[in-house]
Amino acid sequence: MPSAVRRILQNCLLPLLVLTLSGCSKADWIGRQSAMDPKGPLAAKQFDVFMDTVWLAVVLFVLVGGALVYAVIRYRERPGQEDTPPPEQGHGNPMIEIGLIMASVAALVVIAIPTLEAIWYMEDVPAEAQPTSKLAAWYTGKVDPKVAEEVLTIDVVGKQWWFRFEYPQLGLTQESKRTVPNEMVIPRGKAVRINLRSEDVIHSFWIPKIAGKVDLIPGRRNHMWIQGDEVGQYYGQCAEFCGDSHAYMLFRCKVVEPAEFAAWVEAQRAPAPEPAPGTLAAQGKALFAQKTCAMCHRVGGQYDAGAFAPDLTHVASRTSLAGAWMDNRDPATQRAIDAKGNTEVSAPIDAALQRRNLAAWIGSSGILVGADGKPLHPDDIKPGNRMHYYKMFNVAGLRETKVTLTQAELDAIVEYLMTLK
Amino acid sequence: MAHAAHHAPVNDKTELPPERSDLGLVRPDRTTGILDWLTTVDHKKIGILYGAFAMFFFLVGGVEALAIRTQLAEANNTFLTARMYNQMFTMHGTTMIFLGVMPLSAAFFNFLVPLQIGARDVAFPRLNAFSLWTFVFGAFVLNASWFFELAHLRGWFADYAWYKALVYTDFAPANGWFSYAPLSGTFGQADAALHAQRFTGVGTDFWIVGIQILGVASLAASFNFIVTIFNLRAPGMTMMRLPVFTWMTLVTAFLIILAFPAITVALIELMFDRQFGANFFNPTNGGQPILWQHLFWIFGHPEVYILVLPAMGIVSEILPTFSRKPLFGYPIIVFSGAVIGFLGFAVWSHHMFTTGLGPVPTAAFSLLTMAIAVPTGVKIFNWVGTIWGGRVRFTPPMVLSLGFIWMFMCGGFSGIMHSSAPADSQQQDTYFVVAHFHYVLLGGVLLGLMAGLYFWFPKIFGRMPNATVAYVASGMVIVGFNLAFGPMHYLGLSGQPRRTHTYQEGYGWEQWNLVATIGAYILGLGVFLAFANLAWTALRGKRCGSDPWDGRTLEWSLPSPVPAFNFAQTPIIAARDAWFEHKHGASRIGALSDGGADGVHMPSQSWMPLIASLGFLMIGLGLPMMAMGIPHLGWLVIAGLGVLFLGIWLWALEGPGGYHLRTPAPSATAPSAAVSAR
Repeated sequence: MPSAVRRILQNCLLPLLVLTLSGCSKADWIGRQSAMDPKGPLAAKQFDVFMDTVWLAVVLFVLVGGALVYAVIRYRERPGQEDTPPPEQGHGNPMIEIGLIMASVAALVVIAIPTLEAIWYMEDVPAEAQPTSKLAAWYTGKVDPKVAEEVLTIDVVGKQWWFRFEYPQLGLTQESKRTVPNEMVIPRGKAVRINLRSEDVIHSFWIPKIAGKVDLIPGRRNHMWIQGDEVGQYYGQCAEFCGDSHAYMLFRCKVVEPAEFAAWVEAQRAPAPEPAPGTLAAQGKALFAQKTCAMCHRVGGQYDAGAFAPDLTHVASRTSLAGAWMDNRDPATQRAIDAKGNTEVSAPIDAALQRRNLAAWIGSSGILVGADGKPLHPDDIKPGNRMHYYKMFNVAGLRETKVTLTQAELDAIVEYLMTLK
Repeated sequence: MAHAAHHAPVNDKTELPPERSDLGLVRPDRTTGILDWLTTVDHKKIGILYGAFAMFFFLVGGVEALAIRTQLAEANNTFLTARMYNQMFTMHGTTMIFLGVMPLSAAFFNFLVPLQIGARDVAFPRLNAFSLWTFVFGAFVLNASWFFELAHLRGWFADYAWYKALVYTDFAPANGWFSYAPLSGTFGQADAALHAQRFTGVGTDFWIVGIQILGVASLAASFNFIVTIFNLRAPGMTMMRLPVFTWMTLVTAFLIILAFPAITVALIELMFDRQFGANFFNPTNGGQPILWQHLFWIFGHPEVYILVLPAMGIVSEILPTFSRKPLFGYPIIVFSGAVIGFLGFAVWSHHMFTTGLGPVPTAAFSLLTMAIAVPTGVKIFNWVGTIWGGRVRFTPPMVLSLGFIWMFMCGGFSGIMHSSAPADSQQQDTYFVVAHFHYVLLGGVLLGLMAGLYFWFPKIFGRMPNATVAYVASGMVIVGFNLAFGPMHYLGLSGQPRRTHTYQEGYGWEQWNLVATIGAYILGLGVFLAFANLAWTALRGKRCGSDPWDGRTLEWSLPSPVPAFNFAQTPIIAARDAWFEHKHGASRIGALSDGGADGVHMPSQSWMPLIASLGFLMIGLGLPMMAMGIPHLGWLVIAGLGVLFLGIWLWALEGPGGYHLRTPAPSATAPSAAVSAR
């Protein structure tokens, strides 16, 4: 029945072939989060090992798939054979079996060797990277001599649903009342050690173009190392299911020249500018405390108590909001940049968009109310997030409190936040 | 003795006076109608029930899958809310694994194993009925959560005090089929109220108790099949003459009895954490979330082989039949199945490559995972070897089996890719993994099971499915499947994480997600068409002979539909592929001189398995409702325990019972007569 053979070919082979070929143009593989476009030694190593396995699979696919297709076509039943006696009843051939088993083992050794090498490479900063990557070798800012011989270390803390980054050697920690939420920065070409911690459920730290993922597990002290070899802005995302808003738990990693890095650290350590008295921003600053924002959010130099929620000291300088889900850059401009295959350029922050994002985010989940006291935006932007759901946030006195804002109050708070460059 | 009166053979049990158990209770004796289906202990009827429920839940899981694909068809879609999406993928995975594939495999075990080994039933017919009903009620408990979720979304609970006191209001499970702690468990210091230490609501409790009940069903069934296969083989049916499907059933049953205790323990620990503030997985109190992952995956990975080995067994029966040639390398196929089962327990941590195992365990599990590709590859080589030199006939089951090999092979290749831990660190939890395991479990297992349905339906119902519809449906399934899951390889490599309910524009994922969604709809229609064809066949299909495919194994020597006693006379086996050899070769099937004038001894039906299972239903509904804080529901749990123990107690005391069924004259049913009748 040759028509059936043709049917099988058309049904299985052709679509696969078309899909494979159409997926193969270079432009398709450089998306924001593509693991096929490595920009650092770890991603490159992982990519190389992956391609080893791909080539092995292609060879096996051609051999085994070819044998299958050949056998099906060659040994099909032809018209008139239906009622003839069955063909020769062979039961197998031990030599062929053993040969194929040996060949399979040999094929696997081919990928086992680079796999083992890469596993140890990924484990910790290699000794040869140490001399050039230690802080003393490249960091242009002031650094404690006790840590100058170490490589830059970043503590990544996962929370539902955002990342907190701390730079313990450089004074950006909870203890020193300054942390960096959602948008980390690393120096180009320098190995960076990452400590991975979680303060609630399991999350996973993943910047596909720079390194594969490692999980953040509460009660467990995981670590990894990363290195970015090209200046640019990279996209990362939590890769372990972590509850309602898992899809909204994104982050960004900016790779800058080492000299620029010290300037960035200084800027982060600086306190927030004080709004001029009598302005709308100054009203916003007062409301920030009245409306209990300051209980969780820190604004360095003004409200230092908040430790639970993202640090807002420099919120207006960030390219994103709400766990990097809301983009403060003009989306069309940024997409055009990405489409050209150049992920290294970031569109500038669009201040009007940033203002809209802040207002939408703060006012969602029924926080913003009209003159009649009815919520204007009852829907959630990030369902379950702790800012909008006090009920889940087990802090004495807040459980049954629902903060609401009028449009004027919201405008004042947004105005205040926009000054926090 | 009450049994003495039953000694004369009868045509139907209703000809006898009602049978009383030793306790004086009347035992059911209907052989048709609803009472029969509820109390039957006939492995064939139980198999049909398993199959019907499994196919129903396949469609339920399929609808959930289409909801998922609809939501992902475009960026920032709002078809489902985040929580609804999480519930959909959780229930989709759980449904397909525990309520779709496993019971459909169990349907084949039930119907085929006794027939293939020349037995009259399984070793413990009432335990078999208990497995069935426990599965059905476990499935009901799991899906009852949807009705609570519906009531919650419609606001029907709004006036109840217990509802107002809830902190988390997710009523359907939303943790994924893996339910990682502490998301599924507790977090925080013991001085806070217990419900405030959780991250999820009672959906998780439904999931815990539902899986626990389904585990009981699987364990009971597995012990039954192990005992059956070891003890009830016909004379001459040595282990190395067993049909491969029966071999794979045996391996699967061992996997279940060794793997399910791990999840049982883990579920109990998780339940204790959630209900009683225990500290197994609560990191703040020194518990270890990673422990859950180890316990879950040492069950979860063998589970993959529990799903796939029966389909491999089915395909190993179909390929020789339609190549008209024995299986190539039978001993190696059997041995590799056992090796897969064995190695399946040694690779669980490849699900945990990103948890920071350290380089030595990562390397060890990487290499072991690669090693498991060898016995799997061997099976594929031998299937090709079976076709080689044969004469291939493209019946619907054969087309689906070839589809199985092809898709399974592709899934195997992507499996090799993430057996390498460094490559896996990029692929873990992305759509690349989704593509991989759907190629193995959907392109592989579902096609294999569909092939089995189309292959054995003529035996089960004595009716032949419509071939044209079957070809069209198979084509739609294969095309739709590749369209849905092929692009996911690309999506995963371009960084789309799985279990995310939406994604932003600008990542380059829109186009292929849309293609995948279109493919999923084609696939869904194909599966529906294939199942509809089967349902129609069962009721109205064209009658066919007892051996329409020129079958190789014993079940094809029996009339279709198979009579209640299976074999009028116990066969004596002298060769592998006994029936094919009997028809075309030198070795004939003999017959014991049983049956005949005394009839065949049949087990009596019983209400007790159903009653005992009913206890599980009460426990399963009571525990989550108790966790919701609905008053007095703890009594339902206690009553359920009572019903369970009462059912088992009455079951133990009712005695085996039994009666003798008259068989046709031996000459009419002897295999040689059936050959000449063809």
